[in-house]
Amino acid sequence: MSSAKAPSAKTTSVNAAHSVVEPSSRSKRIAATLVIVYAVVTMVPLVWIFLTSIKSPPDSISYPPKILFTPSIEGYCNLFTTRTRQTAEYIASLPEPDGVCDAVTRQRNMVIAGSSNFLPRFANSLIIAFGSTFLAVGLGTLAAYGFSRFKVPLADDLLFFILSTRMMPPIAVAIPIYLMYRQLGLSDTALGMMLLYTAVNVSLAVWLLKGFIDEIPREYEEAAMIDGYSRLQAFRKVVLPQATTGIAATAIFCLIFAWNEYAFASLLTSGSAQTAPPFIPTIIGEGGQDWPAVAAGTTIFLVPILVFTILLRKQLLRGITFGAVRK
Amino acid sequence: MTTSPNSYADKAAEVAARATPERLVVRVRALSDRAIAWLFIAPTIVLLLAINIFPLFWAIYLSFTNFRANRPNAEVKHVGLDNYTRVLNDPDIWVSMQTTAHFVFWTILLQTLIGFALAYLIDRKFRGHAFWTTLILIPMMLSPAVVGNFWRFLYEPQIGLFAYAVSFLTGIPTSEIQMLGSVNLAPWAIIIVDTWMWTPYVMLICLAGLRSIPDYIYEAAEVDRASNWRQFWSITVPMALPFIMLAVLFRGIENFKMFDMVNLLTGGGPGSTTEVASITLKRDAFEAWATGRSSAFAIVLFVAVFGLANIYVKALNRVKQR
Amino acid sequence: MTDQSLTPHSLTPAKPRRPFFLRRGPMEAVAVTVIALGFLMLFQPFLLVLYTYSLVTLLAGTFMFMIVSKFPE
Repeated sequence: MSSAKAPSAKTTSVNAAHSVVEPSSRSKRIAATLVIVYAVVTMVPLVWIFLTSIKSPPDSISYPPKILFTPSIEGYCNLFTTRTRQTAEYIASLPEPDGVCDAVTRQRNMVIAGSSNFLPRFANSLIIAFGSTFLAVGLGTLAAYGFSRFKVPLADDLLFFILSTRMMPPIAVAIPIYLMYRQLGLSDTALGMMLLYTAVNVSLAVWLLKGFIDEIPREYEEAAMIDGYSRLQAFRKVVLPQATTGIAATAIFCLIFAWNEYAFASLLTSGSAQTAPPFIPTIIGEGGQDWPAVAAGTTIFLVPILVFTILLRKQLLRGITFGAVRK
Repeated sequence: MTTSPNSYADKAAEVAARATPERLVVRVRALSDRAIAWLFIAPTIVLLLAINIFPLFWAIYLSFTNFRANRPNAEVKHVGLDNYTRVLNDPDIWVSMQTTAHFVFWTILLQTLIGFALAYLIDRKFRGHAFWTTLILIPMMLSPAVVGNFWRFLYEPQIGLFAYAVSFLTGIPTSEIQMLGSVNLAPWAIIIVDTWMWTPYVMLICLAGLRSIPDYIYEAAEVDRASNWRQFWSITVPMALPFIMLAVLFRGIENFKMFDMVNLLTGGGPGSTTEVASITLKRDAFEAWATGRSSAFAIVLFVAVFGLANIYVKALNRVKQR
Repeated sequence: MTDQSLTPHSLTPAKPRRPFFLRRGPMEAVAVTVIALGFLMLFQPFLLVLYTYSLVTLLAGTFMFMIVSKFPE
């Protein structure tokens, strides 16, 4: 408690006060070293994913693990194609290989039989993630504005109810959803998954966006309404432009959730609406998991999130704490 | 679609308002405000009712029946509280709760210690700290399923990087580092991946807590000649505590219902050593198709999470006031 | 405990305080304790009986929390 005394006369000079709190350069060096070591170690698995994706299958399973190797495109080829084994004579009788992947595959005594399911699954991920984000942010913006600007009866309870829906265990929700979708014919459809992800995301969207809209002064709209705007016009022409940053940040959060989601996707989709996360672990080659192809799929899947994380780092804290912590 | 009639109503109100005395203007505006409020909130509530609340009540209903989803045409009998008494007396489910507790306890302990330490170090504000912080944050944003799946490769005893690195550092032969195959190591394999992935989350919140402590408190302590050790324990830790609590509660909720990473890394195995509650529930519901009983189990989990969520929101509001 | 002496309450003795079981602060603390107890019962490896009654405890704590959080401060 003694520490809470008012700053005494000694600390009147700004510089002196600052030097007291500023850590010494030695402690800074130690801190920097430890943090950099942690950061480097934490990046190793991610770097390894990328390195594995450009290894040839024999290189990827060599012992000891290879750090230096000749890059190969085989992982990416295997990711996008299905292949069948053929005799050397048959392959020799074929015309010139058509493209790099064809040539790489033939070196393994195989020919490309067709394209794999990766692209459709990836497309499903894109459609479902973007569709649900669009819906969740649209609905969320409206609801957040409603909660922010009007006296809604039981507002706190409604908001808690909205937040608590996000905390439900996915498997617990999946049982009745599975039955409901079976009745409605929504199982294994992109629409069903989109609605489900929208419902999960809208809770986050409402919480975050309410925080952003709360920060826009009411006076702006009131001024606009005195100028003859209706409430809806004021919302569209004054509030929405002001909230653009918040809406964009919220959208990226919703997008990342829907993009990464696995539990619902693995239980409720199996074929035509399956997204990439449940698909990637099922990529197998001859005699087990085809790790370069899995790594290639993982790399392609993770790159968008990497980009968004770097873009979003300023808003990150706000998103993951449901808006409690601002900076 | 829903907005167009309302915008007409609004325009009408506006036209009426221009032609009427001021008091009426206020009343018309206020009325339409309430309508707009409900119109804005209703779609969200309807969606949540349809996709979250209705299924929840259905699950509550099912938990009192012997319904089996793989036999939709069989007669459904009401069995009262039987499912609950079975779930709450089943030693296997009890064991899965302890497995969950083990997982939750160790991940939270490790993540809090490492996360707080990292935040404390980053708060020294050395040059380039922003860049390294961003780098540390990356694992948290990635898909636990997709990345967890790749960790299976890192954990391979012969060819995996993890086993190789551990054996390189400790001299233990790689064949003995069966992270996913050994009963003793498998729980730790999951704890390691979860800690790798979510320590940044705890770090980020702790960092916010540390930055919320005003400088003048440290200055005053410095004037009082309080040692660094003393400052750490009587200023830094207590002031950051609400934030640490927030992080602990959120990770607690998330790890209590952990599914994707465990399902892909071990699938509950070997045997049932890593069978956390969600895995047991999934096996019961989607492999044994005991829909009624698994619904009762789901409700138990839901009540637990809901209780924690209440505390979490309380903690959230406390942090917000800062 | 210490905050009581710091709050304006101590300066304005005119207002009679509600008994503690009708105030939000202490009752919320009790409810949180009950929920935490429910969790311990759910997770402990010692007695099956405690596990059996964990759901009831959790439910009681949660309902109590929802009710007392409506009480005035």
